[in-house]
Amino acid sequence: MTAESLAALIAECNRDGRAVTVRAGGTLSGMGYPPDPDALQLSMLDFDEIVEDAPADLTVAVQSGVRLRVLAQRLAAHSTHVPFDAPFANDATVGGTLSAGWLGPRRHLYGRPRDFVIGSVAVLADGTIARAGGMVVKNVAGYDMSRLYVGSFGTLAVLVQANLKTIALPEATRGFLMRLPEGTRARAISHMHALDVVPAAAFWIDGFKTLEGEDGIEGRLFVILEGSRAVVDRGTRELRAWMGRAGVPDTSVIDAGAREAFERIVDAYVASIGERSITYRIPAFHDDAIGRAMALQTLAQRFEFRTDVIVDAMNGDVIVRVSDLDAHALGAKIEIFDDALHDDEPEAIIIAGNHPSRAVLAVWGSAPDALPQMRALKERFDPKRILNPGRFVAGL
Amino acid sequence: MLAQRLIDALGADAVKMQPEDLAVYSFDAYTDGSAPSAVVLPASTNDVSAVVKIARECGEPIVPRGAGTGLCGGAVPIEGGIVISFARMNRILELDAARRRARVQPGVVNLGVSTAAAPFGLFYAPDPSSQKTSTIGGNVATNAGGPHCLSYGTTVNHVLGLEVVDEHGEVFKTSIDRPGYDLTAALVGSEGTLGIVTSAWIRLMKAPEAVRVWLATFPDVESASDAVSSIIAAGIVPTALEMMDAVMARAVEAAFHAGYPTDAGAVLLVEHAGFEDDMDAYEREIERIAKEHGATTWRAARSQAERDALWAGRKGAAGAMGRISPNYYLQDVCVRRSTLPKALHAVEEIAREYKLTVANVFHAGDGNLHPMLCYDKSNPKEVQAVVESGNAILETAIALGGTISGEHGIGYEKRDGMTRVYSTNDLATMARVRDVFDPQRRLNPEKLFPTGAQCAEVKPIV
Repeated sequence: MTAESLAALIAECNRDGRAVTVRAGGTLSGMGYPPDPDALQLSMLDFDEIVEDAPADLTVAVQSGVRLRVLAQRLAAHSTHVPFDAPFANDATVGGTLSAGWLGPRRHLYGRPRDFVIGSVAVLADGTIARAGGMVVKNVAGYDMSRLYVGSFGTLAVLVQANLKTIALPEATRGFLMRLPEGTRARAISHMHALDVVPAAAFWIDGFKTLEGEDGIEGRLFVILEGSRAVVDRGTRELRAWMGRAGVPDTSVIDAGAREAFERIVDAYVASIGERSITYRIPAFHDDAIGRAMALQTLAQRFEFRTDVIVDAMNGDVIVRVSDLDAHALGAKIEIFDDALHDDEPEAIIIAGNHPSRAVLAVWGSAPDALPQMRALKERFDPKRILNPGRFVAGL
Repeated sequence: MLAQRLIDALGADAVKMQPEDLAVYSFDAYTDGSAPSAVVLPASTNDVSAVVKIARECGEPIVPRGAGTGLCGGAVPIEGGIVISFARMNRILELDAARRRARVQPGVVNLGVSTAAAPFGLFYAPDPSSQKTSTIGGNVATNAGGPHCLSYGTTVNHVLGLEVVDEHGEVFKTSIDRPGYDLTAALVGSEGTLGIVTSAWIRLMKAPEAVRVWLATFPDVESASDAVSSIIAAGIVPTALEMMDAVMARAVEAAFHAGYPTDAGAVLLVEHAGFEDDMDAYEREIERIAKEHGATTWRAARSQAERDALWAGRKGAAGAMGRISPNYYLQDVCVRRSTLPKALHAVEEIAREYKLTVANVFHAGDGNLHPMLCYDKSNPKEVQAVVESGNAILETAIALGGTISGEHGIGYEKRDGMTRVYSTNDLATMARVRDVFDPQRRLNPEKLFPTGAQCAEVKPIV
């Protein structure tokens, strides 16, 4: 399929007022409200071409259906990468990751996915093919349409191509796993921000037993250092010294397989347990994330839910997966729990969950501030509301 | 009527109506526009709201203005209207060092943010050459860059959220951390055509533990730009990679005594910030590439004073131009980094064809060229040659897959160039955004979008 044929198809749907659900790898299908079952299912997986690989410019242009793993392998051939850090990279696509507005754990170091986008080709609801930006790394000619499509959940336009900046792959990556004995959690985590060699990622994990390591009394910590070998070695010494001061007795080092271990944690963000779990993401700050995560654990315990928690100690994201014995048990309590959770954390969003009741939960949290402006944009770009209707925040 | 209403709302000392006051606001750092009907100096978001409401009722357009350091007429009235100067909204409202962010009013001077953040070991990364005078509001409007955006990114990468007054005078807020459309991205770089920013949350970065600056000289611009392309192609992205040609380097040296060799064909200034552990390796690799491409000298700034001297020369380059020419026209285009040698060669050819002296000083690592075309304003032939050669440079950039502005913006000056880089469909798509935020085209009119005659679809819908 070409952009032109896609544009013709969408224009036809627009004329007929027929809804279109845009899909790609399906790895983030737990985000947003469930799609309209009567909508035309449009898969972007045929748009799988790397349009232009320009290592001498440190840029790459890819169609939106290109899988993150495929892109990573291509870029690794010339020692570069685009650190999107989206779950299930074998299946996840560039377009899906961008459209969903995915935020990965290494963004504090490398930037958000949106920061890598320098151009785009998109198809609007009326079939217009719109290009924006280009293949240059600095461009202030006109509005930044490409970034407007990022995070729009496919409700303003269908992203067909994204032009991206690339950056050099770090020379070395090393992982560290630490069980946290009683009384060590707060200090160990706060130390992450005192290190000279800033970790590329640092997770406090409680539960998620399928991941590496075992919890101590206060959970476990997984840290990734990246950079030159010299810097990673220095960071290793520094990390061990600080963890010793925090009272953490053992630090196991993962050299081979550190990146894979990191990816498994990112996968866990959206890993559902059949139909008996729902996963929330709470945007906190690094200095209050643990407290908020624990408050949510306490709340979940009141509902007799089991919880698995990941806190991104660098960015402050709190990931809480609540689950019960079976779908029925979860369904019996989840709506009241969802209300109670949003009373405390109005900005919590749901990022995973196959339980049917997801449709009635506050999956996007509270409405954003500039909702009237967003609604007006939606009206101007997709007046018949054919693109991904009913899935995004506040009916956008 | 207009004057009295503005005075009633803001007070007499916040409203300028005298012709001699208004005339000052009809210029920016390059472009001449028209005098506004009034200039207001609001002290708060409420003041801005009140002004926008009055302007709307009186049918007056609004032109927001920071320090007026722009080069494309973005902050200059074209058909009168009310200029909103943010000179009094110049406070840092909040600086949260622990969370590395600050909330600032639009009139805060760029460098003032880094100065305020320095005691906490933090800094604000975008650093346009005008950073001693240009404001965050203006930087947000143009998505300003600077030498260090090579590795840190431009303003859009450092704005976390905005408070904005819309065309009705109502306030809305944006945040990049909340679900919904990324209005922050839409507003940054929109040149005041979508709303008036009244405060911004900006990201602060941890100051690096080590900074090194190196200076390499080359026999000519071609060899220097080949070296730049090779550095980038090797995956090395220094924090800054700046180049000057011989004309510029001599002018800068004469003005600032920065220590630039005056006999070189091109001067490359390279800065890398990061860990001390990496610096020797970076230095070796960059030096190797530079020498491979014919660098004749290689020097490392050993002290902070030496580093500052090298940078002072670069940042003050535009000011040194007065030694070469009574007037100059500063062009801003961006090309793919690998096409830098071709682009520079083409600029040289164009200058030769039009018999103009050109001085180049630019962000080589980004492919962001800033040819300065020298001329005498009193010589109509030279003025014409500058206009034509400026256009030829735009065409060259486009032909090389580049764009007509890397960081200065489109404003009034380049708006008709937009049709050369974007199709009617592309521009009409941008116009849909404008339709939502400014259907009457009252917010900074005659800017950014091409004139209707050249692009029939890009007209107001009302």
